[in-house]
Amino acid sequence: MILRPGFIPRMSVGGISVLQIAALLLPIVIVVFERGDAQARLLAVALLTAIFWDLIFAILRKRTFYFHGMSTALIVAVLVPPALPLWQLALTLSLGCVIGEHVFGGRGFGFLSPAAICLSLLLLSFPQVQLEPMTQNVALATVPGALLLLISGLVSWRVILGAFVMIIGLALPSNLEVDVLSLGIATLFGLVFLTGDPVSAASTNSGRWLYGLLAGLLISIFSPESTAISSASLVFGSLTASVFAPLIDHLIVLAKAKSRSERSSRRRRQSLA
Amino acid sequence: MMGHTKIKRGLQFSNEGAPVENLVHEECCVSTAALLGADCPGLRPALTVALGDRVTAGQIVFTDRKYPDIAFATPLSGRVASIDYGPRRTLSAFVIEAEKSESDEVADVLSKTASIDETSNEGVRQTLLKRGLWPAFQTRPFGGIPAPDAKPSAIFVNATQISPRAPAPWVVLERRKTEFQQGVELLTRLTDGPVYVCQAPEDTLCTFSGRVKGAFFSGTRAAGLSGTHIDRLHPASLDHQVWSIGYQDVAAIGHLFQTGQYLADRLISIAGPRAIKPKLVRTCLGGGIRDICREEFASQSGGSTTRILSGDALTGRDAAYIGRYHQQITIMDRPSDKGIWRWLSGPSAAQGVIVPTGALEQALAVDVLPVPLMRALSVGDSEAAERLGCLALVEEDVAALTELCTSGADYGALLRHVLDDLAGDIV
Repeated sequence: MILRPGFIPRMSVGGISVLQIAALLLPIVIVVFERGDAQARLLAVALLTAIFWDLIFAILRKRTFYFHGMSTALIVAVLVPPALPLWQLALTLSLGCVIGEHVFGGRGFGFLSPAAICLSLLLLSFPQVQLEPMTQNVALATVPGALLLLISGLVSWRVILGAFVMIIGLALPSNLEVDVLSLGIATLFGLVFLTGDPVSAASTNSGRWLYGLLAGLLISIFSPESTAISSASLVFGSLTASVFAPLIDHLIVLAKAKSRSERSSRRRRQSLA
Repeated sequence: MMGHTKIKRGLQFSNEGAPVENLVHEECCVSTAALLGADCPGLRPALTVALGDRVTAGQIVFTDRKYPDIAFATPLSGRVASIDYGPRRTLSAFVIEAEKSESDEVADVLSKTASIDETSNEGVRQTLLKRGLWPAFQTRPFGGIPAPDAKPSAIFVNATQISPRAPAPWVVLERRKTEFQQGVELLTRLTDGPVYVCQAPEDTLCTFSGRVKGAFFSGTRAAGLSGTHIDRLHPASLDHQVWSIGYQDVAAIGHLFQTGQYLADRLISIAGPRAIKPKLVRTCLGGGIRDICREEFASQSGGSTTRILSGDALTGRDAAYIGRYHQQITIMDRPSDKGIWRWLSGPSAAQGVIVPTGALEQALAVDVLPVPLMRALSVGDSEAAERLGCLALVEEDVAALTELCTSGADYGALLRHVLDDLAGDIV
């Protein structure tokens, strides 16, 4: 599902952020429409907070201002419950943006998804907070954005498929008639925007399979029941898996080096024969 | 005979502004030509002629200080107009200005050049070295001109059309079939291994027998890179050097052994989206681009917005003379550096981050993991880069990564640093 290179012109990190934001627009509209004014206020606070930190760091580092933080803010705004106090959102989102992104040097330099960091800080610091479960409408609204990201290569289908297959596989033992559709609805948004984040996922194709399977395993383990995946388990599962992504890549590189030298000598033998 | 390999990875071709007819439009006499340091980085010349001397095409004008056996010949008869040096007395440009020379002088010079010896393997090697055809070879790993005594484990003739904008090999070799055939056979005298003639599946440029093997490639831009051919058929390593050579140089080798003359004629294309009249022209090695593109220069209106490159759009360079290994002159738009487009598509100086997108995964046709390689190159970790297989690559192979990466880093230059570092460890 990845378009051949050449279709896609050279993109800057700014261009990638624009695509991610475009992919998030439909889900956020649906969420605000479904949950009303309270969610709109949360969205406004999230956007202001993220842009504020982007601006502060752009000034401090004397760099061009990019609103990368907007995509983080939109992901968080989709998942938080409407009853969440605004200050709790502002505080955890600030921590997420700064610790997850800006201390490393900006978008792309870190190794974790800032949205996942923000949401896990929210869940750990304020235990009464419950993330919103994903509805059918939100899942449907995620589909066009997911396709956009898949086509432009910003999300790997290997990660999504690996994770989803693992989640279904682990749900099978407890309930032989797994409701694949409801599992898909519950996990699609999280898999695309939290697990699939290209920066925090593994960066080799075989690594992406392993990373996806690991993420699916962790998401399942962190869920109260393997047949009903909660948004919180998606957050923790993705965050934990992305900690292991560099290790997975390293192992793939070592395995590849070995297979490469074997393949080279095999080809040379064939060539000389 | 090998089967046909379709290369699916790598950048797609752009054929906008490709020459419409496979006809040679004109013989293009140039008034100046140059041997360029950019083609052999780090070369320090030991001159055999002086500034202002009269030289004849094919005459040796300097040798490599490191390997005095490797000689460089002038492609043009005339006077030595200027000799420019780069840092540490490396060659920058050796410029010859055309001038009519008298016939007795030609005879005089040619009587002094080395004779052609076809009888032994060593004779062939010495002839190529002494008559200035050795620099046609490029070696892997590390790139550059091979050492005079090196023995490759295979030689790859690149007779593919490197892009739709480049001349088609069958057009170029139409008049030089026997020379090409003899050139290919002579290459077997330099190696104990196979000599692969890599070409498009529909072409039959020479006959294959014994150690001369045919290999057929089609597909993306990477199908025209020697790096891809070598990786598929006979991977290079520290113990197994592999050489590559362009098809026009192979014809020149055949010509030398048939006639005793140094053949400096090359067929190149003038192409690209801003070319007014894309066409094929016959000119000489290292010819002045101003002379070759006379018409284009005369009719370009907004001169500052066009860019004239020696080489293709991806790996070419702004130059006054066409490069030793280049087959085309690309005329294209200078990329705009203002406005929203820049913000979305161009890398900004402050960025430099690698976002592992799907496109990068498809960029390399060789068996190397792209993102880990880019990370290793961008921090200059030569050990990791070697483990990942960077010894199989030279600058042109990673041009696709530079094109697709968000960081704006020049992976060709980064790879050169790492390769020089690794080569330094070995010596």
